Amino acid sequence: METKVIVGLGSCGIAAGAGKVYDKIEAIKNAENLTFELKKTSCVGMCYREPLVEIIDESGRYLYGEIDEERAIEVIDKHVGQQNPVKDYVVQSDLFETVDNTFTEDQVKIALRNCGYIDPESIDEYEANDGYRAIRKIAGHGMSRLDVIQTMIESGLRGRGGGGFPTGLKWKFANNNKADEKYIICNADEGDPGAFMDRSVLEGDPHSVLEGMIIGAYAIEATGGVIYCRAEYPLAIKRLDIAIVQAREKGYLGKNILGIEGFNFDIYIKEGAGAFVCGEETALIASVEGQRGMPRKRPPFPAASGLWKKPTNINNVETYANIPWIIQHGAAEYAKYGTEKSKGTKVFALAGKIKRSGLVEVPMGMTVKDVIFKLGGGIQDDKEFKAVQMGGPSGGCIPSHLSHTIVDYDSVNATGAIMGSGGMVVMDETTCMIDVAKFFLDFTQKESCGKCTFCRIGTKRMLEILTRITEGKGEEGDIERLEELSYQIKDNSLCGLGQTAPNPVLTTIKYFRDEYEAHIRDKKCPAQVCTNLLTYTVDEDNCTGCTVCAKNCPVDAISGARKELHNIDQDVCIKCGVCYTKCKFEAIQLS
Amino acid sequence: MSEKVNVILNGKIIPGIKGETILQLAERNGLEIPTLCNDPRLAPYTSCYVCVVEVEGLRGLQPSCSTKISEGMRIETHNDKIAGARKTALDLILSNHYADCIGPCMQTCPAGVDVQGYISHIEKGQYHDAVALIKETNPLPAICGRVCVRPCEVACRRNLLDEGAPVGIDYLKRFASDIDLDSKNKWRPEIKAETGKKIAIIGAGPGGVSAAFFLRKEGHDIDIYEASPKPGGWLRYGIPEYRLPNDILQKEVDNISELGVRIHYNKCLGEDIKYAELHKKFDAVVLAIGSQKGTMIGVEGDEAENVFSGIDFLKEMEMTGKRYDFSGKKVAVVGGGNTAMDCCRTSMRCGADKVYVIYRRTEKEMPANPIEIHESKLEGIEYLLLTNPVKVNKDKSGKVESVTCLKMELGEPDASGRRRPVPIPGSDFELEVDYVLAAIGQKTDVNFTDDMNKAVKKGELKLNRWGDIDANPDTLQTGVENIFAAGDGVTGPATLIQAIAQARIAAHSCNLFLQGEEVVPMPGEFFSARDNFQSQVQEDYIGKYPEQKRHEMPTLNPKDRENFKEVELGYENEEVAYQESQRCMECGCTEVYTCDLKKYATEYNAKQEGLWGDFKEYKVDFSHPYIEIDNNKCVLCARCVRICRDVVGANALGLVNRGFDTYVAPSMGESLTETNCESCGMCISTCPTGALSENVPFKPGPVKLEKVQTICNYCSIGCDLELEHKSEFVMRAEGRDGLVNEHGNLCKYGKFGYKFINDTNRLTKPMLKVNGRFEEIEFEEAFNIIREKIKAVTPDDNAFFAGARLSNEELYLIQKFARLGARTNNVTSFHYLNRGHGYVGNAKANVPFEQLKDASKIYLIGAEVNRDNAVLGYMINNASVKHDVPVELVTNMDHSSMEHKVGKTLKVKSYYHFIKAVNYYLVANNFHNGLFIGDNCEGFAAYKEDLLKENFVDLVEKSGVAFMDSVIEFAKAYNNEMNAVLIFSEKEICSTASSELFNLAMITGKLGKTANGLISIKEKNNAQGIFDMGICPTLGVGGVGIKDKELVEKMKKVWKVKSLPKDVNESQFERLERGKLKNLFIFGEDPLGCTEDKVKVAGWLTVADFVVVMDYFMTDTANQADLVLPASYPFETGGTFTNTQQVIQSFEAGFKAKSGLNTLEQLSFLMKQFEIKQKSKPEATMAEITKLLPSVEKVDKFIFVSTEENNDCRMFDHGCDYIVKRFDDEFSNAFDK
Repeated sequence: METKVIVGLGSCGIAAGAGKVYDKIEAIKNAENLTFELKKTSCVGMCYREPLVEIIDESGRYLYGEIDEERAIEVIDKHVGQQNPVKDYVVQSDLFETVDNTFTEDQVKIALRNCGYIDPESIDEYEANDGYRAIRKIAGHGMSRLDVIQTMIESGLRGRGGGGFPTGLKWKFANNNKADEKYIICNADEGDPGAFMDRSVLEGDPHSVLEGMIIGAYAIEATGGVIYCRAEYPLAIKRLDIAIVQAREKGYLGKNILGIEGFNFDIYIKEGAGAFVCGEETALIASVEGQRGMPRKRPPFPAASGLWKKPTNINNVETYANIPWIIQHGAAEYAKYGTEKSKGTKVFALAGKIKRSGLVEVPMGMTVKDVIFKLGGGIQDDKEFKAVQMGGPSGGCIPSHLSHTIVDYDSVNATGAIMGSGGMVVMDETTCMIDVAKFFLDFTQKESCGKCTFCRIGTKRMLEILTRITEGKGEEGDIERLEELSYQIKDNSLCGLGQTAPNPVLTTIKYFRDEYEAHIRDKKCPAQVCTNLLTYTVDEDNCTGCTVCAKNCPVDAISGARKELHNIDQDVCIKCGVCYTKCKFEAIQLS
Repeated sequence: MSEKVNVILNGKIIPGIKGETILQLAERNGLEIPTLCNDPRLAPYTSCYVCVVEVEGLRGLQPSCSTKISEGMRIETHNDKIAGARKTALDLILSNHYADCIGPCMQTCPAGVDVQGYISHIEKGQYHDAVALIKETNPLPAICGRVCVRPCEVACRRNLLDEGAPVGIDYLKRFASDIDLDSKNKWRPEIKAETGKKIAIIGAGPGGVSAAFFLRKEGHDIDIYEASPKPGGWLRYGIPEYRLPNDILQKEVDNISELGVRIHYNKCLGEDIKYAELHKKFDAVVLAIGSQKGTMIGVEGDEAENVFSGIDFLKEMEMTGKRYDFSGKKVAVVGGGNTAMDCCRTSMRCGADKVYVIYRRTEKEMPANPIEIHESKLEGIEYLLLTNPVKVNKDKSGKVESVTCLKMELGEPDASGRRRPVPIPGSDFELEVDYVLAAIGQKTDVNFTDDMNKAVKKGELKLNRWGDIDANPDTLQTGVENIFAAGDGVTGPATLIQAIAQARIAAHSCNLFLQGEEVVPMPGEFFSARDNFQSQVQEDYIGKYPEQKRHEMPTLNPKDRENFKEVELGYENEEVAYQESQRCMECGCTEVYTCDLKKYATEYNAKQEGLWGDFKEYKVDFSHPYIEIDNNKCVLCARCVRICRDVVGANALGLVNRGFDTYVAPSMGESLTETNCESCGMCISTCPTGALSENVPFKPGPVKLEKVQTICNYCSIGCDLELEHKSEFVMRAEGRDGLVNEHGNLCKYGKFGYKFINDTNRLTKPMLKVNGRFEEIEFEEAFNIIREKIKAVTPDDNAFFAGARLSNEELYLIQKFARLGARTNNVTSFHYLNRGHGYVGNAKANVPFEQLKDASKIYLIGAEVNRDNAVLGYMINNASVKHDVPVELVTNMDHSSMEHKVGKTLKVKSYYHFIKAVNYYLVANNFHNGLFIGDNCEGFAAYKEDLLKENFVDLVEKSGVAFMDSVIEFAKAYNNEMNAVLIFSEKEICSTASSELFNLAMITGKLGKTANGLISIKEKNNAQGIFDMGICPTLGVGGVGIKDKELVEKMKKVWKVKSLPKDVNESQFERLERGKLKNLFIFGEDPLGCTEDKVKVAGWLTVADFVVVMDYFMTDTANQADLVLPASYPFETGGTFTNTQQVIQSFEAGFKAKSGLNTLEQLSFLMKQFEIKQKSKPEATMAEITKLLPSVEKVDKFIFVSTEENNDCRMFDHGCDYIVKRFDDEFSNAFDK
């Protein structure tokens, strides 16, 4: 076989320089007239090793990580030119032990089955990897709409956007509502900070999403499809565009699709302007209709009255990506994975203080600890694991002592966090939990659409209290005030954004109340993050009087003659920490 | 039938209607759920979360505005959890509500006098109303207007501008009060029915008489016991006459005793009258005893002769009527308050050589009014500031000889916040004086308490630690349940206004007690205040209000003050008061009486500071001539945005930004004037707070308004509205949920077109032109002249013109007068002059407005409804937005006001030819609906023959459409439409085109069916009445031919006459043109003002011998007349209008006719001149009209009418109505600026 050289060109790869690597390899190939097949693919999930170059030859697969232009020359020269793989750079291979083999060993790839393996801009490659087999199966086997819906119900697939509503049931409702026009929408408005599951799927395997939507359209008799994708994902939009054109050309979109009489369906992309709230179904619909993206009260649910007041089904990217696989392999095959109430697999984006930040897909039921430590490789610099934020700004943190929690909808909910769309932000001992709560609340507060009172002003007031606490101006009763406001906001907000916005605050209070108390009562930040609560002092024993700290202090808060003990004027000090980092004798102490 | 659903509402099973929301269910059942964001005109929005309720089985609370009921639903609308959530929602909203409910003046006034309100009255010359408003909380305005310490003026925001001078609040109050006091019809409060309860009030000082006033108003029987021989307390005995003349004091006290309050003088409690006696005779007692004892300086030697307390000095002179003679003497007054000022200035008036004021701090710390200090200096008083007397030195006879003083300097601030004076050692000096007056305080004399407690059976009257009467500070009830106390006796020496405020509280409590109710404090009200957020600084206001210097009150020349004449002379005239009133910046919100947020905040005890934090500050947008946007007051319910989008269709407002930064702003522009805004004011009508309000050219107060119901007299839609006024000065118009205008929708005419009512140039007298100039004459004379003029000519030399704005009753009487009095059928209107007969049957085929939503398509042909009939426009837009009814426009305008609201626009040049071309196409191709025509119509064959003589290509060309296919496409589409409603306006569509539209509807079989057919829009409110009341030579009442036998018989019978005028001159236009008419009588029309062809119309008026015009104002036409009669407004007359759909609506006579005789009365008197007895009440007139109506309504067939020409010859714009013209002109001028 001809050797294949595949460069990962997802957003993460491109950001790390994969584009230049690809160009370099192409240049070498042309210059030296080498005979290998140079291909593109997307992210395989190991974002922490980008740029990634995979070489497949007769002996097997070699995944090279952290390949810059220089290394690319070396690898091509040695591996392709001399059939001598550069093992030092191989991060993952079927042939021998590598540092990152544990990253993939326990993963089960269904939604991500093609990501990082095929060229996302080639419908042929998608087809060659079982693509469009599912919709062909439906057409060929004469699967009725109800058969499809039944399969989805039996598979146990639940909405991967975070809500966890059974997909089959959703389809059933949409199917039950009869109308001359119906719509199917793909929610690709991924907005959680630190989450990039959907982007990876859209960039890596757009056809699987299209096929999932086509199957859904068939099931509910939809006449039109919309992918609502945030404009900040230009690469995803570009690849979707290409995929849609290709699918139309091949007759997967259009009239009487695959010969199914009366099955007319096409898909359009609507670029969202980047409002987080547009991830909410009703706000998303308003935005598609050209109105301000603001939610409305449900019911009526979109399944009854959605886009243009017609029955509408909305699922998220990852959900759609699972669907062709389920139809092709059967519900039972899918339901083999997972727990009693949460079937199949879930994609997680690992971020924060974790060694291997990237994308993983694991069967439901794996413990949080295993995801973080086995797949994620543990905490950076081997610091102590403190908590993991799941579900983004709508979610909550799971503290280390609950890391045995398994990933399924109900177990995660029981902790006060939520599964969400799959963001996992890992925090270590140097993270201040109030700072974390403040970060997420700041996000939701800014992203509130401004419609309902509690979300618009309530989150603002909570943020103000949190800010006060981190500035050392917390008062007795602040925790109770936060809790009271939290419950009121949860009870009295129109959409998920408001109803869940207090979750990060509530879970941090629940698990880290002592940290709040330390800030409020002792005016101390145990993680030493909140600058206003820090005091920098000079250690008498260690200070050599070298004057480095005084010279670097931007506000001249440090005094002391050469070779004499220095002193920091606390009234002047702005707690920037420059002295701390500059001192070579560990003479600056932090408390 | 709507399906029933049973729900359990607050424990009761209640039938609901399927599909309704919890809020709707509750409202139908009379249960109020608070809501800010809901408006029944709009789909639920759910943003405020004030309407939350609890539904069993559902998590959290549910917004009732958008939660629909379901079978068996268990709903709680009021419990602690719900109230808590509502309160939090309100707290949150208020924490970002940087706005004032009331101005700082009212906020600061101890008595809570509505300053902004009475300034608004004074602006309009409503002095009695001003006094009435003041006396709601302060019964002594003339006194207060002179001697109040004016905390309001200290708080006034004008201080931030104009070199720090507040509005002359007190001067304005004095001005209004003095006018009221001296007038014959001075304001008197209403006294409630006698309760039979007796109250004794002790003390006739300000507290006592005020308490008497408030309690007397409640219907109680009041006796005041006063120790002194005269009323007023310290007002009389402490304040010298040059500041407060005794006669003013006496008049205000008299005002109160005239209400039936008895004052017994020289009755000192405990001495002249014993409590035991009072106890027997009275149900309750109010102690308003004041603080009577002066305090001495308390230094060594102060017992010396000629050392007095200041108030004793003042009192003695008032009691004895004798003045001290201080000639050649030196007087030292110790103290820095107003009593010190009274003492020093009085001393000067007693002839003193030298008067010193000794005060231990600086002038800045002096509690006296700055104006007093200023005046005293003018009068030559010498100030020894930072000086303290430490010893009084006597001569041998024991008289004061000098005072030893120490100089002081200011140290650290003390408890009062003022800097404490500290003696400078060794700075002592001696001041030679003959008299020392100590004005440093007073004490309460309470020597009657023992006497009282002896007689008390339950409880005890106690004193507090300062020796004053101990009373509950919130209710002023004392330890004895039926004894209340107020004023200085409770507080220690304080101000006049505080005493009045206390009197009101004590009276309130006493009244509760006497009514057997629990004595609780006066209910508090929520008031938002900008000062709660940050202190107001000059930068916030500078440049936003025109600069205007304070008009200082003229005073007596200092040289002329060696007497006790009043120094302050009062404002010179009304103009000065008006000018000063204009300085009021109207800090308080105009919607304070209607604001839902304030109402709920009060109800739920919400607090502005409950959830303090960052807040938003916005500039108030005054750029629109009619609509003011104050985002500071916005609660982001988006009702304005939604009503503008979903009902009006203008989409002029939108939401900008996200989250806490969200605000409402004009779409795509800086100002509302740059949007599609139609200035209808619907946004104002829906705003639950004062964020959107009317930009008015007067000071609205706000004051509590009275309402008079009327029907809008601009266009022919017939909207029901209320004019809200105070003493007939109209300050706003609000729509009522009317027969036609559901939910009280109004357009710009109804909402803003009321301002002419307040115009003082109104005609109020008949005016006769003598030698080219108008002179006022009496009605009698005017009517005589008319009689003589009519009798001098043959009947048909007279012609009567009646405007389409007049009521049915007015129109009827005009034609009756013409036909019966002047004996002529020459009666018509300029409005329809020479416009052909095509409009006569327009009312016949009017699809009811409410069926618009059921149409499959709406066509607008020559109907600028946005501009001219916006309320109909809302119905069309609503049909389009809510019911997806497509709308197509055919217009001959380059820029139609409808274009942005319709799905499709077709441009034509001639409506007449376009419609005719469509008809031609349908008939020529045999697309006509033969079945319908056969059953319902007459004359098709003849019409067809006439029509087909035309040339289609020619018609299309003249129609001006760009492509022939447009005509064909239109014809086919209209013909195929299941339920097409075609709307046209008489303003745009000439009468032959109107006939052709009827032909079109007949050809296609679209008449007489539900949601299918034509809607014609007349121009004026009662244009239909022109036809119905016989304002036409050929028509009589009921639109029946004037020669109709049945009608003639009825007329003879009802009018009690044997013969009627025989001749019928069809065209008055022709007769005008030929100069055939000698006497012209023009009622409610302004042909000269409303025509383009002024030369022609002026010619008509000049040719006639005698022209009478009846109108509201001196219109252009009236100016050309020989005699002008003052017309009354509809709401001064009462009557009915018939709208364009023949809906007859009545309105009341809520105002008095300014001229004394309303229009109907004038017509009735006029008839009397011809020996015709005519009742003038609108109801009687209507009864008479009814007698003339045809007994059976004939069901006519629709008749095809062939037309020959495009008779587009409308001569008069604005419906030939001066009022419409005036508003149209004002409107366009407002936007030109």
